[in-house]
Amino acid sequence: MFWKKRKSGSDRKQNDPNKEVENTTLTLDTLKNIVVNMDDAEIIERQINPDHKVTLLYIRTLINQERLNDEIIEPLIHHSPAPIHECINVCKASKVNDLDEAQRQLMEGAILLSDRSEDQWLAIKLENPLSRSIESSETETILFGPKDSFSEQIEQNVTLIRRRLPLTTLKTEKFTVGSLTRTPIVLMYIEGLTNPELITIAKSKILTIDYDLFLDSSQVAAFMEDHVHSIFPQFQQTDRPDSCVYALGAGKLTILVGNTPFALIAPITFFDLFISPDDYIHRWLIGSFLRGVRFVSFFLSLTMIPLYVAINTHHYQMFPLQVLFVLLESRSKLPFTPFWEAFLMLIIIEIIIEASLRMPTKTGQTLGVIGGIVIGQASVEAGFASKVLIVTVGISTIASFLVPNYLMVKANRLLLFAFMLLSSILGIFGMALGFIIVLVHLNGLTSLKQPYFAPIAPLHMSDWNDLFIRVPLQWIKRRPVSLYPLQKWRSSRRR
Amino acid sequence: MPSPSLFEKSSPFSGVYFMLMVNRMQMLYFFIIMPRHLVHPYMIMGIMAVGILSQVNLMLLSKWFSSNFSVQGYQGFVQLLGERTVRVFAFLGLFLILLRITVMTLGFVEIAHQYIFPSMTSNWLILSIFIVCFYLASQGMENTIRFVVIAFLSTIWMVIIYYSFFFPPIASMHDLYPLMPPEWSAISWKGLLLVWSSLSGVEFLVCLTPWLRPKQKMLKYLTIANTISVLEYLVLFISSLLFFSSNYLVKTKYPVLDMVRYLQFPAYERIDIVLISVHLFVLVFVNSIFILLFYGATRILLGKGVQQTTRMGFAASFIIILVSILIVNQWFWKSGEEQNIWLNLQIGVGAFTYLLVPAFLLVATKLKGRFKV
Repeated sequence: MFWKKRKSGSDRKQNDPNKEVENTTLTLDTLKNIVVNMDDAEIIERQINPDHKVTLLYIRTLINQERLNDEIIEPLIHHSPAPIHECINVCKASKVNDLDEAQRQLMEGAILLSDRSEDQWLAIKLENPLSRSIESSETETILFGPKDSFSEQIEQNVTLIRRRLPLTTLKTEKFTVGSLTRTPIVLMYIEGLTNPELITIAKSKILTIDYDLFLDSSQVAAFMEDHVHSIFPQFQQTDRPDSCVYALGAGKLTILVGNTPFALIAPITFFDLFISPDDYIHRWLIGSFLRGVRFVSFFLSLTMIPLYVAINTHHYQMFPLQVLFVLLESRSKLPFTPFWEAFLMLIIIEIIIEASLRMPTKTGQTLGVIGGIVIGQASVEAGFASKVLIVTVGISTIASFLVPNYLMVKANRLLLFAFMLLSSILGIFGMALGFIIVLVHLNGLTSLKQPYFAPIAPLHMSDWNDLFIRVPLQWIKRRPVSLYPLQKWRSSRRR
Repeated sequence: MPSPSLFEKSSPFSGVYFMLMVNRMQMLYFFIIMPRHLVHPYMIMGIMAVGILSQVNLMLLSKWFSSNFSVQGYQGFVQLLGERTVRVFAFLGLFLILLRITVMTLGFVEIAHQYIFPSMTSNWLILSIFIVCFYLASQGMENTIRFVVIAFLSTIWMVIIYYSFFFPPIASMHDLYPLMPPEWSAISWKGLLLVWSSLSGVEFLVCLTPWLRPKQKMLKYLTIANTISVLEYLVLFISSLLFFSSNYLVKTKYPVLDMVRYLQFPAYERIDIVLISVHLFVLVFVNSIFILLFYGATRILLGKGVQQTTRMGFAASFIIILVSILIVNQWFWKSGEEQNIWLNLQIGVGAFTYLLVPAFLLVATKLKGRFKV
């Protein structure tokens, strides 16, 4: 009622660049026409015997040339009398009937082989397995536990998950998104465990994606999110196979996206973003303590600087006299109000963080340390910031990075500015209003149509055993109720 | 902005949500001023007696929750009372809701004004609170009801702070005697009326029954809620008595907050500023529920109860409430005398509705001959 209707599927097809040569039949000439001005396109024509001629068409940069020689050209030369499909029986070949299919296969690293004697086209998959090796995760490092991480090869990523979940019920449904990039997407779930409603929602969201370029899974997530304008991530991005397997086992979905090592996990809750694989590796008390530290750090990082601004601007009376003396002495020569003082320091910190991220690792580290110390010290000496603020900003910034999810860290930093503004206007009262706004927002958020602030709102007390603390694994007998899994119990005896 | 269906009912709520709502509605505002009006130690028994009476009332209310009419929401009321009568009640409900929101909000704003921002125009505080209420209410009834869990968890811990007042050196058991009243006056009756009125607000939940999961053991949840509220009242009143004693209790306007000002921690003082700010969670939640009820009552009054909700209608209801409160704050709330009138009016009206609504609904249901045992 309040929103414009989406374009129908037939309208969207008009944007597909590969539809330029629609209504043309699959012939060598039309294919030659298509690969005009493509330097890496190769056409090989070979006379096998007097009345048998084959043509090979492929994109050189997309195929494995060694395999081309060994598995196709060599057999064709040496077994020329035999039928084509017998010569190349080592490869996976499929018949191609139309031009669209031929183009798609060609661009996915297949060799198109024209067998003129039988008047047919075959597509033989020989894609170049261009990939880096399996390395450890750089974004979600842990001390103990599995070290492998995803790479840009989607098939390899599926393998990493399948090795951990050797189940026939682990389903992988493939989709393609992006009219230009034709990025493959694999939707993974455990049939008979995951709530079918979630699968239906995810599929319908993937099928309605209409865009040209997809270079990372975050872009896919952007099209699948329920709330586009929220600063909170509604899909968890991870490059750790064990995180994906844990999510699948809990009844969630995993979406692998081609050419990126980051998979998507959904539906998620706000609290999932504070969970690290470490939590389930440590002893439960230590795991719970570390998780608690993360929550406290998030809260501190969000409140320390606004509290400094609020107290210094509106509530001096909240400090005991001894503390007040320290603060007054520290701020006595500053030309700025507490808000501008904190704002400037936070902007400087953001600049240093961004600069150290963009620079080479070692230079970045040096820049972070030297920049932080030198600029902090100089700001105090120059009278731009108080010592108390420097300490506050330092603790707040470090605390913000304890959250395992980087997208959440960024959301936290942005919220900090909003809280600072509110606290400068209305003090602690303003901060309380800010918290209410954020919690109202979180209360209304959904991830794949499931409540984002579960298990608090809606209240699912049985899920609290893995929320702020992580109880012993033996006690986590049920899968999260908020996901409505088909198999509620983790123990096989209780199914 | 408001969703197209503010009163959507996609996932019914368990009785726990109603339990939390009842408790937070009973802990909204009057508990802050209550010790000053109760004064005497024997009012401890008074609070317990009123708590038991409230329990009886909640039993009547739980009968309504289990009736066939309540499940049908608006249609149930129409079947029970007839459309014309429902409209009349909706009309009366508008004023009751408006009065309740006005007194609670202005009472809270006055406290914030006195303790946090003495030099700020209180209209700005009202506006900022109501913007947040609008945001919450615009997310629809389901999300607003769900927010009660956050409001409850954010504020329930505050009562723990008062434990320290049970053990100060000046506290004496003698401050809690006599437990039986040596004499009884009109002021004592007024104190009991205030406690009764403090426990009111629950009666408005009869309008939220369609969001309640059917066949809930509501009496259990309502009993727990009422018991928690009464215990909180007792903790606050006894700690006020121990801290101020009866002689000085009558001299403080907001004893529950004044005593917290004396708490000192190594790094900070004036914890009352934090407590008042955090209490906003409850105020925003309750106001948002009442804003939605106000809009719902307006729709019934205009005969549009079954039609789709609209942004304009919701915004108009919100603006009416906001402007009314600003007008009352600007011209009718300033002096102590007028303020007392509003407060006394709400105490009386709240007590009256809390007493009559459950009984009336039960009698009406019995008379209709369809009461489900």
